[in-house]
Amino acid sequence: MKAVFAHLTGQNSRQGLWILPLIAGIVGFAWLAVSTDQFATPQNAKNLLAQAMPLIIVAIGQMMVVLLGGLDLSVGAVISFTTAILALDAPAAITIPAVFIAAIAIGFINGTTVTRLNVNPIIATLAMQMIIMGLTRLMRPVAGGEVPEVVKQLVSGAVFGVPFTVFWGLLVCLLAWKMLYGSRFGLHIFAIGGGIASGQSDAAHTFGIADKRTTLLAYIGCSCFAALAGIFLAGRIVSGDPNIGPPFTLDSVTAVAIGGTQLSGGVGSLHGTIIGALVLALLSNGMNLANVSAFVQTAIKGAVLLAVVAFQSRKKIGL
Amino acid sequence: MHPNRSVETPGVPLVEMRNISKSFGPNRVLSSVSLTLAPGSVHALMGENGAGKSTLMKILAGVHHYDDGEIECGGQAERIQSPKHAQELGISTVFQELSLLPNLTIAENMFLGREPIALFGTLDRKRMYEETKAALEELDLKLSPGLLVSELSIAERQFVEIAHGIKARADVFILDEPTAALNAADVEVLNRQIARLKAAGKAVVYISHRMDEIFNVCDTVTVLKDGRHVASEALEGITESDLIGLMVGRDIKDLFPQRGANFEDVLLSVQDLKLQADSPPVSFQLKTGEIVGLAGLEGQGQQDIVRSLVGVFKPDSGHILVSGGARALPLPAREGIRDMQRLGLAFVPEDRKEEGLYLGLSVAHNVGISLHSQRPGLAWAKRYKQQVTDAVTSMSVKASSKDTSVGNLSGGNQQKVLLGRYLAAGMKVLVIEEPTRGVDIGAKSEIYTLLRQFADQGGAVLVLSRETIELIGMSDRIMVCHDQAIIAEMQAAEATEHAILDAALSTSSEANERAAVA
Amino acid sequence: MTSALSSPLAQRLLRIPPAYYVFGALLLTLWLTRPQLFNPNVMGIFIRQVAPLGILVLGQLLVMRVRSIDLSGAGVILLVNYIISSGLFPNGTLAFYLFMSIGIGLSVGLVNGVLVGLRRSSAVIVTLATNIILIGVVQLLASGKPPGDVPGFLRDIYNSKVLNVPSAVIIWVVLTGVLSIFLSRTVYGRYVESVGENPTAAHFSGVPVARTVVTAHLLAGVMAGLAGLVQTSSIAVGSIRFGLDLPLNAVAATILGGVIFGRGDGGVWGPFFGVMSFAMLFIVMTTFGIQEPGKLIAQGSIILIAAIFYGLRS
Repeated sequence: MKAVFAHLTGQNSRQGLWILPLIAGIVGFAWLAVSTDQFATPQNAKNLLAQAMPLIIVAIGQMMVVLLGGLDLSVGAVISFTTAILALDAPAAITIPAVFIAAIAIGFINGTTVTRLNVNPIIATLAMQMIIMGLTRLMRPVAGGEVPEVVKQLVSGAVFGVPFTVFWGLLVCLLAWKMLYGSRFGLHIFAIGGGIASGQSDAAHTFGIADKRTTLLAYIGCSCFAALAGIFLAGRIVSGDPNIGPPFTLDSVTAVAIGGTQLSGGVGSLHGTIIGALVLALLSNGMNLANVSAFVQTAIKGAVLLAVVAFQSRKKIGL
Repeated sequence: MHPNRSVETPGVPLVEMRNISKSFGPNRVLSSVSLTLAPGSVHALMGENGAGKSTLMKILAGVHHYDDGEIECGGQAERIQSPKHAQELGISTVFQELSLLPNLTIAENMFLGREPIALFGTLDRKRMYEETKAALEELDLKLSPGLLVSELSIAERQFVEIAHGIKARADVFILDEPTAALNAADVEVLNRQIARLKAAGKAVVYISHRMDEIFNVCDTVTVLKDGRHVASEALEGITESDLIGLMVGRDIKDLFPQRGANFEDVLLSVQDLKLQADSPPVSFQLKTGEIVGLAGLEGQGQQDIVRSLVGVFKPDSGHILVSGGARALPLPAREGIRDMQRLGLAFVPEDRKEEGLYLGLSVAHNVGISLHSQRPGLAWAKRYKQQVTDAVTSMSVKASSKDTSVGNLSGGNQQKVLLGRYLAAGMKVLVIEEPTRGVDIGAKSEIYTLLRQFADQGGAVLVLSRETIELIGMSDRIMVCHDQAIIAEMQAAEATEHAILDAALSTSSEANERAAVA
Repeated sequence: MTSALSSPLAQRLLRIPPAYYVFGALLLTLWLTRPQLFNPNVMGIFIRQVAPLGILVLGQLLVMRVRSIDLSGAGVILLVNYIISSGLFPNGTLAFYLFMSIGIGLSVGLVNGVLVGLRRSSAVIVTLATNIILIGVVQLLASGKPPGDVPGFLRDIYNSKVLNVPSAVIIWVVLTGVLSIFLSRTVYGRYVESVGENPTAAHFSGVPVARTVVTAHLLAGVMAGLAGLVQTSSIAVGSIRFGLDLPLNAVAATILGGVIFGRGDGGVWGPFFGVMSFAMLFIVMTTFGIQEPGKLIAQGSIILIAAIFYGLRS
């Protein structure tokens, strides 16, 4: 019984404390459903899902890097950059591959500077964030342009009355599940992160794991997930917008942290991250329905993040 | 990349390491060491702490790269690039440090780096689980392979580590102190496995501090001293004292200063220290002029006892009295060390590179910091020129100047700088972990003398060491830990390695029988 | 490449903070291309512009020396700016504004310091979170009514000169000098050096590690408050959108100046020249007509290259 309890609370578990945010989410959901009429409507459910989806996608990518004890502060910039590329006056057959080539290149630079050039991940991705934002503003100083019809359809279309968003969710979750739990890559991520968190950063390497290559791939994966989120957002706003991405950087970290993933690495779960993103989306949705101003929403999200990281005490002081 | 499977032809060594040299920065840890591993043999690698055994094995395991020399595997020259490469060459290692990953299950740890793959590239978890279960059962272990390693005890972890090493498809098995945390019955289980490997024509390298194990299990021995090759021969016909003589290189009695004589006032008194709520209380005292050793198998609580005294480990309860100042345990984690320093008790941690020294800063900073840290932060920093000079000269630290960064000094000089820090701060009680780890023989002798001088001048020393010979030689009194309690105490002058080991193995009937035979 | 890097000359050159090279190169570029800008008045104006950044950097370098980071500077500056320009305290004196700026800085620094130093939470996340909280609060306070005018006497002080040097620059240089002496001459300076080099060893040798980190964050908060005061004095009308890029520039200048998580090779004057390099960079980019996006790219590249420079060294 004690062991079961320990598992549920995230002690002695690799999944982290995800049960608490789940309960919080359910309680919040129930409360909103009872207290406001607008919440439990099909339209709002659709909105909620569309709001949560890009965050879920970015957060999954962010989680892979966080599990390695890293952090990717360039995901927001990648999202903006993606919308700017898609809003170029070019066919989707060119721009969509271009988006992924760019994402892979960015992830490759992030991963290489971190693993080969010994740069702290926060500094490396912070610098990348500035560079990508600069490029984005060169291409599109203010919101505008129009994304190809295909991209719009990908997001707003539906088959048999089921919105495409649902398929996006299924596809992304399946992909992430395969990467994290259904492959050696995923196990190696947990192994490397576990070594880093317990202070023996070369433990995984000693087991014969290609730790640098795995880390590099995780950064590339993170950028690609951000690009995917960017495509989704571009389809929704049907234009390019340099300002759409940056809030996602901190939101994704918040979602990951809420979901029980330890920022020191090695402990966390896919379902926890999805729960974390949903809780955050629910919070925004609830505040929107209650007409809370956008500024206060930002501040409240900051306070939530502060509370969550204060809850995660680590062994070492610092970044 | 597999070596030729010419295992059956005797005479062709599985691995031949020739003239291997290796330096870490300015410290030369191996000079021109050779090692030949024949099939069907169990090869003891002997030497004091810091003789270079672990470094040599880490080179073979691909963890470190050697500077000079050559390695042949199955008659083919190989440059071992990485641990993965070593595994591919058929070399499997059980390291001294517990290197399992705490957040993975036993099964995942067992197969890490060589996971079986099922359909669509997914992990074959079922196979991992079953094979792990079988491997654990062979070692008489009834653990579920799905348990996380963080949930296991130290001995269980050690067994999993052994299972991981010896279950690998390999020809050469390196066991670096595999029994440090095991009791006698467990060691028997391991010995059976080693015999099985030997019968199968594999080569085993066995590193251990326990002499009786070496003579039980091994057939060949190579002795290293200060990173140099001393001897390689068959174990038959060699006696235990011959072996110690080879390792130490001189009569050990010359290494240690005269023991203390007058122990008067009590300087440190620990009362009813309980590491956990259900562990037995520990009480002991240290008097002026006294050096007391703390012995025991790995993970029996001796390190926790020592670290409880400065608040680094959080025990359940107890009291500590240092030269008049009384404190209740557990001490506060943040202020414990500072509080104890104010009372005159200093703690010298084992890992001098990670926990002790500022490798990138000067000798002067490293020595002076404990003087600085006794003063308020906003005060002007004093230069402590005199104190630093005194410490450096009285300990004969060989450094080009006081501004040299400590990272450029040899291991022995680094250790002296670390000790100098606490001596300069005028401490009365020193609590030291592994005072001579990774230190050459000359510096060892100097450190023993320094600690004795410190005690003779009215100080007291509590020392923790894995090297029983060292404890016997330098202490006045030895306390032996088992299962979070001090279960035996003896005068060092009368203590023997056997007596200490038997006490450390405690009530195991097998140990008693063996002691009776001996 | 590795062999070239390990030669003694390369090692010695690598030990000089990149800020000095960058500053020299930019100065040379300017002298070759726009010699007419080389007069004290023009230079003074440009350098005065980066004084708030320079003051913010003093705090940043302190927290980075103890292996932390402070990204909440923008929030502090914004709050200080809002309170001064909103007309909430129409009769505020200089002393009042000074205490208020320091007070705001101390409070934010305290929150950061307690969470980072005592709770050991991730510094990046904690300070980013306090930053967005502060920004949200200011935007909420300002919603509907845009901030008003900045009191004239602050602007007068900002525009004044002593011996032909702008007062803001003098304040910056004096603060830099004080911090330099503070770090090199006090026991606290020794603590900072120890914690930066090896926090575990610092703990074991009796350094109050947590207190050192908390104090660094308090001081960083104070510096951010002062930077906010100087920044506010430089503008006539309050704004709720300015100074948002300052913390990132402060990180960039600090790294450029040879201070990076735990390593303090550049001391206090390395980052000072990091800021001076930024002043030069702004002049060069402005004269070459490079717009905002180009500046972002340049700054990002500088951080990346400087960090790689340190990564290769270790």
